[in-house]
Amino acid sequence: MRGIVGFARHAGVVSGALVTLLCLGGVARAEDPNDWLDIETKYIFGFTTGSGIGIEGEKEFTVDSIGRFGKRDGHYAATETKYEYEFTPSQFVQIEFGALGTTHNIGGVTGLDNRNSAGFGGGFAEFRYLALERTSSNPLSVTLAFEPNARFIDETSGERVHNYEFETSLNSDLELVHNRLYAGFDLLYEPEVTETRLGDTVREATLGGSAALSFRIVPNVLIGGEVWYLRHYDSPTLSDFTGDAIMLGPTLYVQFTPKTFMVAAWNYQVWGRETGTPLALNLSEFQRNRARLKFAWEF
Amino acid sequence: MISHLPTPRRLTAASICALALLSAAPIRAEPAVEVHLTYANGAFQPSEVRAPANKPVVFRVKNLDAKAMEFESTSLRVEKVVPSKAEGIVNVRPLQPGRYQFYDDFNQKARGVLTVQ
Repeated sequence: MRGIVGFARHAGVVSGALVTLLCLGGVARAEDPNDWLDIETKYIFGFTTGSGIGIEGEKEFTVDSIGRFGKRDGHYAATETKYEYEFTPSQFVQIEFGALGTTHNIGGVTGLDNRNSAGFGGGFAEFRYLALERTSSNPLSVTLAFEPNARFIDETSGERVHNYEFETSLNSDLELVHNRLYAGFDLLYEPEVTETRLGDTVREATLGGSAALSFRIVPNVLIGGEVWYLRHYDSPTLSDFTGDAIMLGPTLYVQFTPKTFMVAAWNYQVWGRETGTPLALNLSEFQRNRARLKFAWEF
Repeated sequence: MISHLPTPRRLTAASICALALLSAAPIRAEPAVEVHLTYANGAFQPSEVRAPANKPVVFRVKNLDAKAMEFESTSLRVEKVVPSKAEGIVNVRPLQPGRYQFYDDFNQKARGVLTVQ
């Protein structure tokens, strides 16, 4: 845990310095937001995904890491990194696919084996369809997304499994102030089935929604915050509720050049419950903290 | 093992079919409106152009400069590299009324606006 806090402090200082430098550069230009170029909204909300689908013919390679830290006891750190190729074949559809890399550092957590491992975790694909596009007279934009995943390593425990997940989401965003302030909203339904090494089959689902705000302080930097409400079920049909959680945290988006950008986000569980226990927070199905760091190169 | 788990596969296949249909939906056999642009001395001529709503638009961008430019627009969701002394053709879907900004991604000071009415 001390390592995570240290990492968070270090990342915070670096991010703060970076934003300050970029802000100073932006302020020096003293531009009118009405003169700024339109921004792609997909990645400006942290874990919340905006409606953007890119530009027809555009290709992108990204490295997208999500870390999950903290269980009820012991020490727990797990990461999943997507090595992703993304392209936009038409003005309404975006396709992504790639490989998953995982790491697990677990010690003394009740219900989980101690583990210190890294490996190839599986693969995924994502299909996005822009259902409603933003225009200068309509600030709302909506995209439907489907993301099948196949994993060989369990996201939480790090055990070898066969896991199939089908994430379905609705990503929408609203331009509240032209070129300045954006609101993002996601709805998520994520059924999955897992076969363990012992031959057990586990079916479960996560249902959730998020709301985010992102403020464009200078043309190439947006900062904001988001809140997620997540519910977990031991059934894809949502019939067996096991607990829920609320996660809250800041977001950062930095466009380094017209073709490169980064996303950083941190969510902290502020409230949660597990059915059948009086304990605060839900640390069985979710985690105390999660962080996202993504770098992208368009070409 | 996977044969016991048909739901994700079926959902994946269904989503691919649905997306294929959805992506085909906006394609209509309507005559396109041509918009002619010239790029010279790092600027678009004209920098403001117009097109009717709900009709496909074809940009014909003639680059007269000595270096390549990239015609790009986030709101139109198109990009096209146009080599020096060449013409680029950019096809755009039927558009809703509004203002759509475009620019040279290699020289973002070069900008223009398409007004759709």
